[in-house]
Amino acid sequence: MSSSVSPTGTEHGDYAHLAALQRRYAELPATDPERQRVREQLISGYLPVAEHLARRFAGRGESLEDLAQVATIGLINAVDRFEPDRGANFFSFAIPTITGELRRYFRDHGWSTKVPRRLKDLHLDIRSSQTQLSQQLGRAPRPSEIADQLEIPMSEVIEGLQAGEAYRSSSLDEMLGEQANTTLGEFVGDLDDELAIIEDREALRPLLAQLPPRDRTILALRFFRQLTQTQIAEQVGISQMHVSRVLSQTLGFLRERMDTSD
Amino acid sequence: MAGAAGGVGQTGVTEVYTAASAIAIPTIRTVAADLAARADFDLDSIADLRMAVDDTCTRLVRLAACNATLSCSFAVRVERIEVTAEVDVNRMMDPLPRGSFSWWVLRCLADEVTALVLPGEAGQGGRVCIILVKQALSAGLL
Repeated sequence: MSSSVSPTGTEHGDYAHLAALQRRYAELPATDPERQRVREQLISGYLPVAEHLARRFAGRGESLEDLAQVATIGLINAVDRFEPDRGANFFSFAIPTITGELRRYFRDHGWSTKVPRRLKDLHLDIRSSQTQLSQQLGRAPRPSEIADQLEIPMSEVIEGLQAGEAYRSSSLDEMLGEQANTTLGEFVGDLDDELAIIEDREALRPLLAQLPPRDRTILALRFFRQLTQTQIAEQVGISQMHVSRVLSQTLGFLRERMDTSD
Repeated sequence: MAGAAGGVGQTGVTEVYTAASAIAIPTIRTVAADLAARADFDLDSIADLRMAVDDTCTRLVRLAACNATLSCSFAVRVERIEVTAEVDVNRMMDPLPRGSFSWWVLRCLADEVTALVLPGEAGQGGRVCIILVKQALSAGLL
């Protein structure tokens, strides 16, 4: 079976025979041994859908195998809960079910190491205080300023900031939920003037072209427009921590490939 | 690790010696970020320093001679940190050629950047050193 999946999900082509199987599965009484076999056929038949969705969530710090497993759990739930006689299309039911399972996984596993609940909460408090203070001060706050606002000792702020480093906020709330400002693309569209100062720009240019547009924008705002991470965060509509992670990753990517041309 | 800078306003020098290996870099940049946080740097400056130290150490590790030691010293002063990172090399080479992208990036991340190439006595090899100065408050252009 082909692994291609139409994102709109019509029950035609590769999956047409599964729709019939689905109805059979719904009709079979729970005690019928045939039911288990049909269920397995359905799960393995729709597996490419789960794998496709898992791949869409790849590259965010979780292994593809883990994601495929999580997506499969979502698929099994979808197969079991789907009611074909309600007239809905299986895909319109299964895709949100599987995606929901993947999102939940990221929410619960977004921390790369075991971080105690207390530190997770502390980290969230620090982040919201950071956003608020940045607006008040017009710059990123100092740890002591966050400590004052939250009325906790500075040592706790530092602890919370360190915990934040363990948080690979591949957190989908950030990755998918936030609305990046798309007009920025035009703003930084042409970097030729800025690049004039860089002597190895000919090696740099094709690498910049490979970057996702938002990452390229963030890089340009930091290194060519000389904005601070906090200012970029505000313009792009993501957190400063997220800007920081994007910049580190992008610099690592560029450094690795630039050096081969040194 | 020798010495340790304590609470806010406290100055001092922290030195970290590791094998000149990429494996050591996460530890070194974490030390840098932690010192900056304890010295009450704003969160942008902490993040910038972390990235600058990461970049500097990566550069030095790539130039390092076999079995070389990467030495990093973090001097916490009033409202700034001075980082000195150095390593022995076989081939004398400017670690940060003026006009290179890395040079540009480090200049944006740190307030002052100096690269030194110190020839060895036997004529071959020597030592390269990158010095960064980072201020506690980031001022962006807007």
